[in-house]
Amino acid sequence: MSPQTPPSTTTSSAEMVTALVRLREALAGVALPLDVPGAEEHRTMRGEMVDQLEDYVLPRLIQIEAPLLTVVGGSTGAGKSTLVNSLVGRRVTEPGVLRPTTRSPVLVHNPADVDWFAKERILPGLARTPRATGDPGALQLVAADNVPEGLAILDAPDIDSVEERNRTLAAELLAAADLWLFVTSAARYADQVPWEFLKTAADRSTAVAVVLDRTPPDAVGEVSGHLARMLTARGLRDSPLFAVTEGVVDDDGLLPPEHVQEIRSWLGSLAADSTARAAVVKQTLDGAVRSLSRRTHDIADAAGDQLTMARRLREDVDRAYDEAIRRIDDASADGTLLRGEVLARWQEFVGTGELLRSLETKVGWLRDRVVGWIRGKPMQAERVTVAVESGLETLILEHAETAAERAEASWRSVQAGQHLLEDSGRDLGRASRDFRQRAERSVRDWQHGVLEMVRTEGAEKRSTARFLAFGVNGLSVALMVVVFAHTAGVSGAEVGIAGGSAVVGQKLLEAVFGDQAVRRLAAAARQDLNERVTALMDEERTRYVEVLDGLGIHEGDVESLRTVSRRVDDLRFRDSGRVPVAGTGAEEDAS
Amino acid sequence: MTALVEGAKKLVGRRTDVVDRIDGLDEAARAARGRLDDALVDEAAAVAERAGARLRLSGDHTVVALAGATGSGKSSTFNAVTGLELAAIGVRRPTTSWTMACAWGAEGAGELLDWLGVPKRHQVMRDSMLDTPGGTQAGSGLDGLILLDLPDHDSTEVAHHVEVDRLVKLADLLVWVLDPQKYADAAIHDRYLRPLASHRDIMLVVLNHIDTVPEARRASMVEDLKRLLKEDGLETVPVITTSARHGEGVPELTRAIAERVSAKKAVKARLMADVTSVARRMHEANGDARPGDVARDRTDELVDAFADAAGVPTVVAAVEESTRRRAAQATGWPVTAWLGRFKPDPLRRLHLDLGSRGKELTATARASVPEASQVQRARVDTAVRALADDVGAQLTPPWATAVRRASVSRLPDLNDALDKAVGGTDLGVRRTPVWWRLVRVLQWVLVLAALAGGLWLAGLAVMGYLQMPEPSTPRYAGFPVPTLLLVGGVLVGVLLGLVCKAAVRVSARGKARSADRRLRAAIREVTEKLVVEPVEAEVEAYKATRSGLAAALR
Repeated sequence: MSPQTPPSTTTSSAEMVTALVRLREALAGVALPLDVPGAEEHRTMRGEMVDQLEDYVLPRLIQIEAPLLTVVGGSTGAGKSTLVNSLVGRRVTEPGVLRPTTRSPVLVHNPADVDWFAKERILPGLARTPRATGDPGALQLVAADNVPEGLAILDAPDIDSVEERNRTLAAELLAAADLWLFVTSAARYADQVPWEFLKTAADRSTAVAVVLDRTPPDAVGEVSGHLARMLTARGLRDSPLFAVTEGVVDDDGLLPPEHVQEIRSWLGSLAADSTARAAVVKQTLDGAVRSLSRRTHDIADAAGDQLTMARRLREDVDRAYDEAIRRIDDASADGTLLRGEVLARWQEFVGTGELLRSLETKVGWLRDRVVGWIRGKPMQAERVTVAVESGLETLILEHAETAAERAEASWRSVQAGQHLLEDSGRDLGRASRDFRQRAERSVRDWQHGVLEMVRTEGAEKRSTARFLAFGVNGLSVALMVVVFAHTAGVSGAEVGIAGGSAVVGQKLLEAVFGDQAVRRLAAAARQDLNERVTALMDEERTRYVEVLDGLGIHEGDVESLRTVSRRVDDLRFRDSGRVPVAGTGAEEDAS
Repeated sequence: MTALVEGAKKLVGRRTDVVDRIDGLDEAARAARGRLDDALVDEAAAVAERAGARLRLSGDHTVVALAGATGSGKSSTFNAVTGLELAAIGVRRPTTSWTMACAWGAEGAGELLDWLGVPKRHQVMRDSMLDTPGGTQAGSGLDGLILLDLPDHDSTEVAHHVEVDRLVKLADLLVWVLDPQKYADAAIHDRYLRPLASHRDIMLVVLNHIDTVPEARRASMVEDLKRLLKEDGLETVPVITTSARHGEGVPELTRAIAERVSAKKAVKARLMADVTSVARRMHEANGDARPGDVARDRTDELVDAFADAAGVPTVVAAVEESTRRRAAQATGWPVTAWLGRFKPDPLRRLHLDLGSRGKELTATARASVPEASQVQRARVDTAVRALADDVGAQLTPPWATAVRRASVSRLPDLNDALDKAVGGTDLGVRRTPVWWRLVRVLQWVLVLAALAGGLWLAGLAVMGYLQMPEPSTPRYAGFPVPTLLLVGGVLVGVLLGLVCKAAVRVSARGKARSADRRLRAAIREVTEKLVVEPVEAEVEAYKATRSGLAAALR
C-alpha cells in the first residue's frame, strides 16, 4: 500500500515530525496581540497554519500510507452534493435548492478503510457521527462499497455563502485535503472567492482537479475553454478539468452516470495506482510543508513587528515619564520653587528680623511658639514648610498629569496603542485617582526626612546656641531652601533674590554644621527628593507598563520561530536530496 | 457647498425639508471636521455633496440600477425591460464590463447621465427609437426612467466591483438581481444588502432564472430568500421572481419599476436614506450630551493662576511700596523727606513706571516682571485642565479630546500675553492726589515759617550782639512770634508728616487694591482670549454638529 521508499525515510520523517511538532508549538505560542497593520491577517494565518498542522500535515506524515482524502469543495449552489452522490452512486448527502445546502460535512469511504477515519487521526476537531446532522462541528462518516479502497471523498460545505461557519469550516477542510476536487459552475466559474481558494492551492502546490458543473450542453465548449485559460493564467495548468453538463437528476437526486463517468474513472485509476496516489500525497504534503515553513517567516516578521511596536509603546511611556522626572528635578533645583509663595514666606521668616532676633535671644523657638499660639497662626518656619509642600505638590501633580497625557497621546497616534487604551478599561490619560494623596504623602515624607536629617546631624550640636536658636524646624527649612537653589545661577532679578535667600540659608546652616556637612546634607536631601519623585512617577508608569506586560510578547519568539522554520527547511532539502539555496522559496518549481 | 445646496433649494422649490436635512448634514460635517473620525466626516460631507448635486439635476427622472452577481441575468433583465437587445448576454463570465443606460424621456436625462458617469456610447434614449419592434411593455408608464445595467460585483474583475460600488451610491432605486445558485452568496449579503439595510425603501429584489427551479420548490426558495433578507434587515423589500429569458415575471417587474418611477419619490427617498444612515452613525459618535458650562469660579481660579504666573502679587506689592515712598516724599517733612529719593523705586525696577509717553516710545517694551516659574506654570496648567474637564465631562471622547486640545492650543503665547497685559495696564500710580499737593504746600509754608522765625530770631540775636537797640517783638499769647514761628513750624511740620504717614498707608493700600483690580481685569481678558475663547469655539462646533445632525435626522 505504501509507496516504495528508501529505508532512511522512517528516521528522516520522524525528525520531520519532531520539527513540525515544534513548529506547531512555536506558532501556537507566539502572541500577536497588538493591532499593527496586518496583524489581523497574520492572526488568521497563524490559526490556519496550526489547524493545518494538526488536521493534515502531522497525521499525514505519521501515516503516509493512509487513504487519499479527496475533498469536494466549491461554491454554494454549484452542485457539490449532487456530484458526490452521483460519484458514490447513491444518496449519501442531502442536496437541496435552498442555499446554503450542506450542513455538516460528509466523509464517504470504503468499508475497509473505516479505521483510518473513525479515530480522530485527521481533523481531530470534528466529532464523528454516523447520521446526518446540522452540526457543523461534526463529521458524518458513510461507508460505501462504490468508493474504491484507498480513497475517501469528503463533501465540504460551501466557501462563499452568508453562513460564516460554513466558510471557515470549508477552508479548514480544504487545508486537510490530499486532493481537491474543486466544483464550480457555468454561472460561477469567474467568481472572485473560488479563485482566491484556487490561488492558495496553486501557491501551496496542492493537487487540484476542477469540475465545471451544471454547464448547459451548448455552452460546454466555450465555457470550459475560457476556464482552462483562466486556470493556466493562474498557475494551475496541470490540474485536470472535468466538465459536467447540466442534466436532469433522477428521483434519488443523482445525475445520469455517464455525466460523471470521466471523474469516477479518474478517481478509480488513482485509487488503484499506489504510485500515482503516493505522488499526489507527496505533492500536496510537500507543498503544505513548504508553504508552512515559508509562512512561518511571515509570522516571525509579524512577531517582530509586534515586538517593535511594543518597544515603541514602552519607549513612549518612558519618554513621557522620564521627562516628567527630569523636569521636576530641574525645577526643584534651579530656584524656581523659591519664587512666589515660598519666597514670601521665607522672607517673612528671614527678613522680618525674626531670624536675627532669634539669633540674639536664643529663645526664638519659644517666642515663635508663644506668638504662634497667641496669634493663632502657624509659626513662620512652618509656614515656609507648608508653602514648600504646596509648591512641590503642584509641580509633581501637574507633571504627572502632563506625562500621562503625553503618553496617552503618543499611544493614541498608532492604532495598536489606541486599541490598548480602549481595552485597558482605565483612564490612562490622566494621573491615577489617588495620585494627589500619594504626592502629598511623599512630599511630607521628604520634609520629615529632611527634619530627621537635621535632627541627626545636630545631635551632638544640640547644645550649641545657634542650633537651639533656630530649632530643628528652622534649620530644616533653611536646608530645603538651599536644596531648591542648588543650581540657581540663572540671570534675572528674581533669581537674584532667590539666590540671595539661599545664601542666607546656606550661611545659617554653615554656621551651625560647617560647610562640609551642609554640602553633604543638601546633596542627601536632594537625592532623597529625587528618589521619591522617581518612585511616584514609576508607580504611574506601571499602569502603562502593566498593559504592555499583560500582552505576553516575548523577545525570543521571533528567533525560535525562525529556528524551527529553518530546521524544517533543512530536513526538507535533505530529504529531497538538494542543497538549500538562499531564500525560502527556492523550491518553487518543485511541482 | 452651501452654494450648492442653495442652488438645489432654488430648483426643488417647495421640497425644502429635503434641503434642510442635507443642509444640516453639511453643517454637521463642517463643524465636526477635525474633531470626529475623519473617515466618517468625509463620508458625511460626500453624502451631503452628492445629495446636493443630485437635487440640482432632473427630479423628473428616476435612476434605477440593475445590480447583481455575474451570471444572474442582469443584462437579460435589462433587455427584457427595455424590449431591446441592447446589453450583450452570454455564457462567458463576466459578460458585462461597463454600465449600460437606457433613458425614457430625454429632457434632462443627458445631464443626469453625465453625472452618473455613463459615457455617451453606452446611453440609449428610449424615445429616440420610436420604431422599436417588440417589447410589449416598453414605454408604458416608464417615462422618466433611467435604467442602468451594472457590471457584476463578484467576479475576478476588480474594476467591475469599483464601478458597482460607485453607481450603487448614485442610483435612486436599486434592483438586486439574484439567481437560484447565488442568492445566498456572502458577496452580496455581506457587502451590499446588509450595509444598505437603511435603504430598504428604495430596493427591489428579483429572483431570476426561476425557470431552472422545479415548480414545486419555487415557493420554498422564495421563502428561504425572504428569510435571508430578513436577517439582513430587509424584510419589507418586495421579491419578484422572473425568468428574463422566457419573459416570466417581467411585466410584474416593469410594473413595480413604473410605479416607483411615476411616484417620483425614489429620488428623495434615496437621498434621505443616505442622509439618515450617515447622520445616525455620526450622531452615535457625536453623542447628545449638553456640554458643561464655563463656570464663574473656574474662570476665577484661572484668573488667579494666571495672575500668579504674571507676577501680579509682585507688581501690586511694588505699587504699594512705590506709592508709599512717593507719598512720603510728597507729604513728609521736606527737610528729611528728600532722603527717600536715594532708595530705588520698586516699580522702576520692574520697568513699569514708564508714563504713557514712555509706553508709546517702547510699544513692545517688556516689563521685567519675572517669568512664570514652573510651579506657577503648573498651577496654570491645572486650572486650564480643570476647566476643560468641566466642559468636556459629558461629551463623547473625541469631543472631550478636542476641548482639551483647544484649551491648551494658545498657551504657548502665555508669557507674552501676560507680559503685555501687565505692561499695558495703567496702574494708577501716575496721578498725584490733591491732598498730597495741599499737604506739600502746607509743609513748605511751615518750613518757610520756621525759616522766617529762625531768621527773625537770628536777626534779633545779631542786633543784640551788636548792642543795637532791641526792636519790639510782637507777641502772641505771651510767646514771641519768631520763636512761635520757628518752633511751631518745625513741630507742626514733623507732626503733619507723621499724621500723613498713616493716611498714606491707607491710600497706598487703596492704590494697590485698585492696581490689583485693573491687572486682574486685564488678565481676565487674557484668559478669555487664550483659554475660554478656543474652548467655547469647540463648544460652538459641538453644538453646530448636534443641531446639524438633529436637522439631518428630522
